[in-house]
Amino acid sequence: MRLYEMTACEMAEKLASKEIGAVELCEDIFARIDETEEAVASFITLDREGAMAAAHAADARRMAGETLHPLAGVPVGIKDNICTDGLRTTCASRMLENFVPPYDATAVSRLKKAGAVIPGKLNMDEFAMGSSCETSYFKKSRNPHDLSRVPGGSSGGSATAVASGQLPLSLGSDTGGSVRLPASYCGIVGLKPTYGAVSRYGLVAFASSLDQIGQFGRTVDDVALLFDAVCGPDRLDATSRSFDKPGRDIEGSVKGMTIGVPAEYFAAGIQPEVEAALRQAIAGLEAEGASVRPISLPSTEYGIAAYYVISSAEASSNLARFDGVRYGYRAKEYANLVDMYERSRSEGFGAEVKRRIMLGTFVLSSGYYDAYYGRAKLMQQRMTAEFKEAFESCDLIVTPTSPTTAFKLGEKIDDPVTMYLNDVCTVCVNIAGLPALSIPCGRDQNGMPVGMQLIGPKFSEKRLFEAAKCHERRMGGALPIPAICGKEGK
Amino acid sequence: MARNYETIIGLEVHCELKTDSKIYCSCKNEFGAEVNSKCCPICTGMPGTLPTLNEKVVEYAVKMGLALGCTINLVSKQDRKNYFYPDLPKAYQISQFDIPLCEHGHLDVMLDDEGTQKRIGVTRIHIEEDAGKLIHDESFSGTLVDFNRCGVPLIEIVSEPDMRSSAEAHAYLETLRSVLLYLGISDGKMQEGSIRCDVNVSVRPEGQTAFGTRCEMKNVNSFSGAVRAIEYESKRQIEVLEAGGVIEQETRRWDDMAGKSFPLRSKEDAHDYRYFPEPDLGTIVLTEEYVEGLRASLPELPNARTLRYMREEGLPRFDANLLTENPDKGDLFEACRALGAPAKAAANWILGDVSRILNERYLTLADCKLTAGKLTEMITAIDKGEISNTAGKTIIEDVMFSDHTVSEVIDREGLRQISDSGALETLVDGVIAANEKSVADYKGGKTNALGYLVGQCMKASKGKGNPALLREILQKRLDG
Amino acid sequence: MKIDVTHLAKLARLTIDEEERPRFAAEMQGIVEMVEKLPPIEGKLTADPANRMTLRPDRVEPSMRREALLENAPQSEAGCIVVPRVVE
Ligand SMILES: [Mg+2]
Ligand SMILES: [Zn+2]
Repeated sequence: MRLYEMTACEMAEKLASKEIGAVELCEDIFARIDETEEAVASFITLDREGAMAAAHAADARRMAGETLHPLAGVPVGIKDNICTDGLRTTCASRMLENFVPPYDATAVSRLKKAGAVIPGKLNMDEFAMGSSCETSYFKKSRNPHDLSRVPGGSSGGSATAVASGQLPLSLGSDTGGSVRLPASYCGIVGLKPTYGAVSRYGLVAFASSLDQIGQFGRTVDDVALLFDAVCGPDRLDATSRSFDKPGRDIEGSVKGMTIGVPAEYFAAGIQPEVEAALRQAIAGLEAEGASVRPISLPSTEYGIAAYYVISSAEASSNLARFDGVRYGYRAKEYANLVDMYERSRSEGFGAEVKRRIMLGTFVLSSGYYDAYYGRAKLMQQRMTAEFKEAFESCDLIVTPTSPTTAFKLGEKIDDPVTMYLNDVCTVCVNIAGLPALSIPCGRDQNGMPVGMQLIGPKFSEKRLFEAAKCHERRMGGALPIPAICGKEGK
Repeated sequence: MARNYETIIGLEVHCELKTDSKIYCSCKNEFGAEVNSKCCPICTGMPGTLPTLNEKVVEYAVKMGLALGCTINLVSKQDRKNYFYPDLPKAYQISQFDIPLCEHGHLDVMLDDEGTQKRIGVTRIHIEEDAGKLIHDESFSGTLVDFNRCGVPLIEIVSEPDMRSSAEAHAYLETLRSVLLYLGISDGKMQEGSIRCDVNVSVRPEGQTAFGTRCEMKNVNSFSGAVRAIEYESKRQIEVLEAGGVIEQETRRWDDMAGKSFPLRSKEDAHDYRYFPEPDLGTIVLTEEYVEGLRASLPELPNARTLRYMREEGLPRFDANLLTENPDKGDLFEACRALGAPAKAAANWILGDVSRILNERYLTLADCKLTAGKLTEMITAIDKGEISNTAGKTIIEDVMFSDHTVSEVIDREGLRQISDSGALETLVDGVIAANEKSVADYKGGKTNALGYLVGQCMKASKGKGNPALLREILQKRLDG
Repeated sequence: MKIDVTHLAKLARLTIDEEERPRFAAEMQGIVEMVEKLPPIEGKLTADPANRMTLRPDRVEPSMRREALLENAPQSEAGCIVVPRVVE
């Protein structure tokens, strides 16, 4: 067995007991990246030198007898919209092709402090806007289970790297499903924490009130380990909160839990195999001692609309700073200041980003604010209240992560509205600021993974881990790392 | 002019707060530092950075609100004002839109020496961040940007359109500035841009109740500039109306050097700022106790002090007003009084020579070494006749900028008056002997010859003779 | 709802090429139609006291090296970032 095949927890254990060394592990990780990167295209930037230096440092400290954080020496990949001091951070955009932040995101500085090794920066949809990882300026990541299919987005590279065994763990970001959707399509575990659980400092903002840094791993324990290392309040993020951290002791029990199943998530448009897999998983949880009850979240159908208004409005403002003045792309030729702004932004941003900026500008513009932004924010309040009410009668909510499994590259890229519907099951969670986790739940007839989404009340990550681990055990553990064959896949 | 017009003025005043750190990051809030040396990823708007609100900014804004009789909103929020400009790194300014910290206040201003007061409404006070500075220099091909001022905390004080003349606007600005100084929340230095204002002006024919169309003037950087801008704009608008034209609602730029305003943008291409709640910050929630604690901590404000000086110190309103416009002067006055200086003399010295000397040098009391002890010692010496009033002027120039004591200067300069009658009698006798003609004139009824003789005596004493005593001796000799 | 792509692009400091405009307008139209399905909701948006934040103490921390700012800048001179001449 190769070292890369181990789970993060196994790596942590073997590093702590000095059975393996961080340098040795890091070398095997890079060997695996070299074998598979051409096929899956997970990375925008690799940092062999930095990673090896961190691995050497972890080994040296262990050899000196220090007791280190379990992540010391464990490779963790970072989505390329999370700032890394001295390491290029592009947001998969031409706009930031050469941007090197002079600071670390808080999540990254916590990982570095723990001694984690950062092999590189992971591909994504440009500025996290997309559900397929096809809007990246640099490359299109591919689903390791079928290279002709998308990995999901926007954190596509973070998912493909973990699913293909290039990395045991990675950080992504989730604004409307960008961690859960690719986790579901790639057959791994992805957590979107409660809004405020992980500092957003250093995460390049898409929609500030919805964004949250999420964690990918192949097992629930791995995700819990990574979440534990990065969560907690941060004085640099006024929206971060302190809460009881769930820790890493996950028993995997659903005994006594009530699981709510909202009818609205099993509506028309759901792929029959997805529904079947979900029903089976729910029956499994019931067999483990949970009680299951139908619930209703009546405003679900408005989630996508409210999400696109709020996220685009915030994005139009957040992305205004990319103006060619202080950093990033500046057009080569321009007549004056306004021309410089317009050319730099038009040449630096891709089509999807421009579309959202335009939509956001529209919904905030004079005369339209109340009808669009105001109405969406009121819908947000209503949806939050509906979830709150639902959690009075259940502990967790189970839904599919996506109505379908991974689709083919290029299949939806020209139709924004159809593309946006991929997020129908995930956006409401961001709108309500709740934690949710996606975990593999069987496969469809093409062998593509199905994802199950567990949603809990604010700061109930522990409960999500418990139920997910129970389900994972019933499924016989994590999905095996697929054999990556050829550039175009099967 | 066919009709009489009334000018309506409203002011939006931006004041920089003198906190230690900036409003949304921990960079030093410092004027005049080397370009781009007081910046960090947050205040230069680098990707992924987030703001965190400085508690002192809230405290200072609430203090100002309380001083101006505002209602304090215990729950308020911040909003983004979106526009592109090179001095605005995030391409939005974090400000407050629909729920400011303070609302519905007022400021009473004194309009003349007779003590006419007018109450000017204060619509709101909100907190926001300052922008950077653009440097236009011929030696560079483009415009240079210095981000040091980005994130310097500001309060914006918006008045009601309650002022009716440039004089009222001037009085409002002066009073506002003194309140800021009394609260110790701003250094009030106009020349460093600590206080800047936008002026809204409209005119209407006398008797008309509806307001005319207003124009906003930007770039007004001094109180006297505000006066000039108002007068110019009011005249311009009246001329337009008299010529049968209509006033276009527009933003104009005031050019103080040229003494003119120029159109900047019309209503049609006005900015659409697309305000929305700042999602990177939470709600500002204050408690009743917090606000009441700040209210209790407020110092005596300039208006109250003026009235007290008139009532308790017997000062004329004009003097009382001048003394209280700046807390330093009032504090010095009160310290002198505590040491026993008479009110009138202390006020005269502070408002007279001391202020003149400081103004000539563009300094404030804080920049000099004058103490209440020195000033009182000098005033007492004059009172006792030990030195002349003229000598006092010499002494004050010295002790304001040195560590010398008053008596050291008196001795060094030989300023002590000769009050010894024996010595003065000899001197007078000499002068009488040398000025036979004047003595004859006096005796012949030309009483003003006495003044001349006193002057000659002073000259003979090299200025040290006590003039009152000399006069007495002279008169006795001549009449006797 | 008719979308004024030219006006919005001006506000957002974007240029949409002439030939791209119809497609952009159509796509925007589609999104806006989806958004317009939101039902009218009674209520007023206001500041939420439950979302109270902790304020930062007024303490100075070191600023960054000036080079850290200038290294990423497309154009700089004399310690400053340079933009095309701004006429005031
Ligand atoms: Mg303002
Ligand atoms: Zn700063």
